[in-house]
Amino acid sequence: MNKRLRNALKGLTAPDVERRRRAMEPFVRATFGMFTKYLYRYLGNEVECEDVLEDVYADIWENPERLRNITNEKQLQKTVYLYYMRKRLREVYRRINRNLYLSQSNLKDLIAPEVGTLEMVSRSELQQILGQALGKLKARERRAIELWMEGASNRAIANELKTTVGAVKMLEFRTILKLRKMLCYYNRED
Amino acid sequence: MSGTNREVHELLVDYTDALRDGCIPAFLKSLTREEAERIASSWEFWDATEISRILNGVGFADKAVAPNVSLFISRVDAEIASRLKKSKASPHGKRPRRFDSQKRSSGGTKSTTKRENRTEKPI
Repeated sequence: MNKRLRNALKGLTAPDVERRRRAMEPFVRATFGMFTKYLYRYLGNEVECEDVLEDVYADIWENPERLRNITNEKQLQKTVYLYYMRKRLREVYRRINRNLYLSQSNLKDLIAPEVGTLEMVSRSELQQILGQALGKLKARERRAIELWMEGASNRAIANELKTTVGAVKMLEFRTILKLRKMLCYYNRED
Repeated sequence: MSGTNREVHELLVDYTDALRDGCIPAFLKSLTREEAERIASSWEFWDATEISRILNGVGFADKAVAPNVSLFISRVDAEIASRLKKSKASPHGKRPRRFDSQKRSSGGTKSTTKRENRTEKPI
């Protein structure tokens, strides 16, 4: 953990309210990028990420107890997700829940799930693992996922692979499950 | 996301697409009762959602437009100021004293006074 973040954390866990408020600026500067990128995987939308983070930072200011014994960035990210982000993520969709057929617990699992082992791996490490896993896929499967990650629609992927949209969806589903198996194996090895 | 009575594989792909495009509410609203039940009972769907999130995080988080941090800090500070104001304005700081003094003077007859008040109101 860098010195700036360590000092900001020290200020944040101080009992004095004003000191905590002053410590918030360096803390936000040090963590904003990391938290936004982490939240993005759950929301896929920058504006919502910002809205959620605004409340998350204010919650941290109000009740910073959980951040008292943080020693590294990974621990910080996990703690912030478990004790501050999850609550706010669930609130994003609470309003529309009345009109949904999905049960409350399923909605929670979909929107703000328990933290998986893979979800706590750092981004650079994750990119590396995913790159390795993609390398082991069949050419067609890899192409489908690569096109998806470039932002192509299912129709565009189907055109590229000269197949139907339905077949592309099945291919993506099977490939995601395959990736899941590969990455689980990585976890166990780890 | 328009298909009706989608199978689990279609639902997962639609969820993954919705995550990528930042429109999860549209996906949630598109679910029919049968589809919601299908999701709830499919371990494959739940297993695969973690990978969908990771693909989304690795593939797209970097492409997200980085907002102005200074502007964001001022938003956070305004939120903190508003919470600070609320906590100062709330009567919680003053009430305990009154309660304590009431308790001491009444000798633990809080419930009876409350009951009296309730009966007095209609009169």
